[in-house]
Amino acid sequence: MASDSSAVRKVVVHLRATGDAPILKQSKFKIDGSEQFAKVIDFLRKQLHKNTLFVYVNSAFSPNPDELVIDLYNSFGFDGKLVVNYASSMAWG
Amino acid sequence: MCEIHARAQFLVDKWKTVIDSAQSPWSWVPSSSASASHNVVDDEGVQGYLSLENVCLFKPCQKERDPNHIEEEEEVEEEAEEYEDGFTDTAMLVQRHDMTLRHYDLHILYSDSYRVPVLFFRAYFTDGSPLSLGDIEKDLPLSHANESSDSKWTFITLEEHPYLNRPWHKLHPCGTSEWMKLLYLGDSSSTDRNRVGVELYLLIWLSVVGPMVGLKVPIKAAKQLIDRS
Repeated sequence: MASDSSAVRKVVVHLRATGDAPILKQSKFKIDGSEQFAKVIDFLRKQLHKNTLFVYVNSAFSPNPDELVIDLYNSFGFDGKLVVNYASSMAWG
Repeated sequence: MCEIHARAQFLVDKWKTVIDSAQSPWSWVPSSSASASHNVVDDEGVQGYLSLENVCLFKPCQKERDPNHIEEEEEVEEEAEEYEDGFTDTAMLVQRHDMTLRHYDLHILYSDSYRVPVLFFRAYFTDGSPLSLGDIEKDLPLSHANESSDSKWTFITLEEHPYLNRPWHKLHPCGTSEWMKLLYLGDSSSTDRNRVGVELYLLIWLSVVGPMVGLKVPIKAAKQLIDRS
């Protein structure tokens, strides 16, 4: 595990579709650890052209969008990456 | 299915010990007089709801995007608590906090008809006057589509609080069981996930619902709880 300071540390995010959400062509990408989780959500929104997304980590926890990616990685990451599950097409309400 | 009291107790305890002792804790309010649709009854017939009162929010129109935001919010909360303890003269609060500070009371009830927890809440200014629905909508991340990952699965309705018999706002639980199924049980397409403990049900639920009303489940605490299950 790299010992860089968290300010410059990149995190590999693995986006994993759940349910009938579309699978991305590129499911892994690097993001600066100092970015907020909201950036991941926004990225997914743009990729999938959907506004209603349900995004969660560790199969169980839905992080607040303003959490930092590095914090999430430190808590929930394994194998050098942070797995982010997403679901998009559920009919809420 | 209705082990909500046990789960609630778990959340109450853990919130106190693990999550943040400085934050005002959740507490279980036992009650026996509920209308039929929302009463909480577990196997022992315990009824009641979870309550977290006097959560303070600043007008988040100027919500900062900086990482210190969490700390700021907690400070505000502590500050407000000190005042609450130290002064009985509420007029002093009004002078100091003006109209920018809003107080939220949050109650978690169990909906028998939807078979999921439901969040009831009310909001008021420091002087006690209630916020209008418009104010609340401006306040809450719920309506800021860009700030919330799942802003459209619910909406606010006004309903009679089943225990207090007063009108409270409620986050409609219609999508809840579907997304809880995802988080709680996982789905068949993935095999490597661990099923999470029953006790965590409410915590997981709160990690989704909390941010809708500006309440965060700190990730470190969530991790600790999930690891332990």
